[in-house]
Amino acid sequence: MNAVELLGEVIEISHSNLEINSRISAILNIIAHRMGFEEVLVFKLDKDKRITCRYSNQDCSLFSLLSKYRCHIGEGIIGSIAQKRIPQYFTYKDIPPRFGCIFFHELDGIIDRYRSFAFVPLSDDSYIYGVMVAISSEKGDLQDREKILLSVIAREIGGLIRVDEIMLSSKKRISELVTLSELGKVLTTNMEPEAALKNIVFIIAKALNATMATIKLNNFVSRFNIQRFTYGQSDPKLERFIDDLEGQAINAKRTTTLSEELYVDDEDISHYSLCSSPIITKNKAIGAMTICSSKKHITFDQNDNIAYLITTIANYISSGLENILLNTRLKDVIKELNETQKRVIEQEKLKSLGEMTANIAHEIKNPLVIIGGFTKRLAKKVNLSQTENRYANIIVNEVARLETILNEVLNYVKDTPVSREPCNINMCIDEILYLFSSDASWEKVKIVKDYDTQLPQIICDIQQIKQVFINILVNSYEAMKGEGEITIKTGTAHINNKPYIKVAISDTGGGIDPMAIDNIFNPFFTTKEKGTGLGLAISNKIIMNNKGRIEVENNVGKGVTFFIYLPLENNL
Amino acid sequence: MKDKKILIVDDEENIRILFKEELEEEGYEIDVASNGYEALEKIKKSPFDLVVLDIKMPGMDGIQTLNEIKKIKKDQHVILCSAYGEFKQDFSSWISDAYVVKSADTGELKNTIKNILNLT
Repeated sequence: MNAVELLGEVIEISHSNLEINSRISAILNIIAHRMGFEEVLVFKLDKDKRITCRYSNQDCSLFSLLSKYRCHIGEGIIGSIAQKRIPQYFTYKDIPPRFGCIFFHELDGIIDRYRSFAFVPLSDDSYIYGVMVAISSEKGDLQDREKILLSVIAREIGGLIRVDEIMLSSKKRISELVTLSELGKVLTTNMEPEAALKNIVFIIAKALNATMATIKLNNFVSRFNIQRFTYGQSDPKLERFIDDLEGQAINAKRTTTLSEELYVDDEDISHYSLCSSPIITKNKAIGAMTICSSKKHITFDQNDNIAYLITTIANYISSGLENILLNTRLKDVIKELNETQKRVIEQEKLKSLGEMTANIAHEIKNPLVIIGGFTKRLAKKVNLSQTENRYANIIVNEVARLETILNEVLNYVKDTPVSREPCNINMCIDEILYLFSSDASWEKVKIVKDYDTQLPQIICDIQQIKQVFINILVNSYEAMKGEGEITIKTGTAHINNKPYIKVAISDTGGGIDPMAIDNIFNPFFTTKEKGTGLGLAISNKIIMNNKGRIEVENNVGKGVTFFIYLPLENNL
Repeated sequence: MKDKKILIVDDEENIRILFKEELEEEGYEIDVASNGYEALEKIKKSPFDLVVLDIKMPGMDGIQTLNEIKKIKKDQHVILCSAYGEFKQDFSSWISDAYVVKSADTGELKNTIKNILNLT
């Protein structure tokens, strides 16, 4: 055997482009063939500080047996070599049974086949990467030359593993950086917070090869309707553990992991491990991000890089989320400001229109009273024929009608103060329905009540609100020409995260002409022959004064539904 | 009923005529004034059982006139009468006995007067 040639081959392989596993196996084959060992194996020190048999030469018969067990540093021959970093050579006579490790019981009766054992640490000056084992059934004591050769090759293999590990960790670093930059992109876009969070959990789950990634936000982050954002799925049995872990992470304000504990309880979930990291803004934990992974892919360890990465990501999300929240709040404020401005302009318009109308109405009223008053007197004084009497009556009636219109107009334009009293809307509607039910003309109208019996009380001006319901119900009645079905549904709803009670009144009156729908709340707009066009305008004004809103859903050919929202927290 | 004297205060002449004629037919003795000052002068000179007072008048309006009347004669019966009910919320109007919205139909005014003068 030419040592130089052999080393040349080893170096050639070690510097080739082959994959690391193939390179190590090839080197082990060379040792086997050229140096006369049947079994050449490499044990590798894993991240968790345990040693596993990972590589062997092609014809190795011990690999399948030895690779079943893992041992700690210091345990058995392998462990002690890794600990002391000094090669040891045994002959059959002085090798301890089972390599001195209690787990290797399958070596019983096998060890005696071999004559010579060499255990060489794979290490450089500072690190230990594993142990190489060469076993021969032919050789007796090894020559010094052979020992040196094995040591040199072991050092080369150690170097290979080292380079590979550096490569791996830099690849990992790069992928972490890619992940962070992807997250950065999401966090700096103008995305809606919900969409951003959905993207974030997706990116994290993919990047960490996790079964599931979930972000839970505390209730006080009230901007969100959803409190949890999840990508992927995990066993439902894990939910309890996830909740606990999140709680711990939020309370302790640091990354917390759970893995060994899961082993005990349940087989279904024992192969998962969990890691939860708090999301902190302004020194306040506003939620937590939790990764659930199969142990095959990652096991979390407090000191592990992955836990560190998760912590980094959580911090990153925290600051990004703060930005997103600020942005959204800003958007909301701007939107609200615009709406308020529009409303103010609208109100100013209405106000000046109202003042003008009030003045005109006032000026007209006196002449009207005089016309009507004297027409009556005329009819009384002069002996009129039947026809003339009818004419006089027409004048009097038309004057009365004008008076009604003027009263309604003034009613609409004047600012009625809003009184505040607790009101049960269900009862309020019932009282109105009772009035209608005693009216014979309402006989053919079927009223369907779908009340929320748990409807909370609200503070509002009951008389004004009743006026609104009456207006809408009378409109429905007229649209249905006195025959059809009116459905009244009460319940609660949220608008912009604020609680409202919601009343929906639907009729079967065929709906509103789509051309007219935009105008129905405008004053003096009417489709009725004798309407003033003020009913819905007044209703709208009343609801606005009570800080609510009124909406209409038009189902052409079928009917309309009016939605009335009144605030639960009424700060009039 | 002949002994009941009513003063009608309104800046609009035709309203004065209408109310005067309508109420005279009911048997009241009617005097009229076209503004607040004139009304106060007449009340100082001779007593009235009731004053029907328009609110919107040039110069001194009905509410001011009402206050002045009450200064002269604390227990003077007054009916405020206006084109619309918008002064109903005005506290000053509460010291009047009644508030009637002007209408071509004088029935409400007549009934209110009867009630106040205990003639029902």
